[in-house]
Amino acid sequence: MIRKEAVKIISSHIGNNPIISANGFMSRDLFEVNDKESNFYMIGSMGLASSIGLGIALKNPKKQVFIFDGDGNILMNLGSLVTVGSLKPKNLVHVVFDNNSHESTGGQPTNSSKISLEKIAKGVNYKVFVIKSKSKLISVLKDIKKLKEPVFLLIKISTSEERSKRVSWTPTTIRNRLMKSL
Amino acid sequence: MNEKTQREIFHYLKKKKIKNFVGVPDSTLKHFIDECLKNNNIIIATREEEAIGIASGMSLSKSNSLVFMQNAGFANSISTITSLIQLYQIPLIFLIGWRGYLSDDAPEHLKIGKIQPELLKIIGLKSQILTEKNWKVKCDWALKQIKEKKPCALIVRRMFHD
Repeated sequence: MIRKEAVKIISSHIGNNPIISANGFMSRDLFEVNDKESNFYMIGSMGLASSIGLGIALKNPKKQVFIFDGDGNILMNLGSLVTVGSLKPKNLVHVVFDNNSHESTGGQPTNSSKISLEKIAKGVNYKVFVIKSKSKLISVLKDIKKLKEPVFLLIKISTSEERSKRVSWTPTTIRNRLMKSL
Repeated sequence: MNEKTQREIFHYLKKKKIKNFVGVPDSTLKHFIDECLKNNNIIIATREEEAIGIASGMSLSKSNSLVFMQNAGFANSISTITSLIQLYQIPLIFLIGWRGYLSDDAPEHLKIGKIQPELLKIIGLKSQILTEKNWKVKCDWALKQIKEKKPCALIVRRMFHD
């Protein structure tokens, strides 16, 4: 499974719940496969999707809030997992698309293959699912609808040469669309 | 800034519909932060950038937010301020304790402390210095800024040694 395929499956299964999407190829893939008002595409500030998602989850308890992160992105802000795990929002789904690399900057390795993101997330009170296939992903998406705790989906993906187009919305339009959708 | 004023500032901002107080502790602001804690209205983040991210999510949810930090943390956060807060124009009030204001403060604060006003000016984040006399006027200024969707900063100078 490549990132774009996983992104397509999740975004088409969750209706208009907000997605806070990390900078780089992550947001480009989401924009290309399923552009919605409730998508917040990050351009800069790498690492902060999980924190922005936490703020939105705390203020919108009736919506399930999705964070689309990469392994490089979450490794830059591991502290955010501690804050999420201590506040235990019931409506936060943190999806990490793990390809063991900084794909957006040329495919340099991250250290996610040498440590266990799964164990880290478990240690800070997330309910964790490790996903390696499309069928597993679809069944997990059904299971998590009922959960009342922070959820961590670690999706193992392969790197790809496929490139999505850049997000064409301006940052303030991205902001306005999201605010309207909440 | 004295204890009484710091505690009053919290209640004034709360009364003026600032709903969320997120940040990383700083000794210059300790009475303000203590008042947030006493009122059970605080999120203490692991880093200042993280605090800015959380507060941004809250502001995007139309819930007014303040981020508190020391100026060392402000220096850590410059890229986040330029590429998130200013780029998307997210209204937030920054409350920053200014170490290194006194030229004989602890050595780790001197270099950043000296350029603190220039750092704010260079990135174009509007700011005002809070004092025991002017705090209400300056808080009103900040509230007006975020109403107009502009981020801004309130600075508290470190006037003592410990």
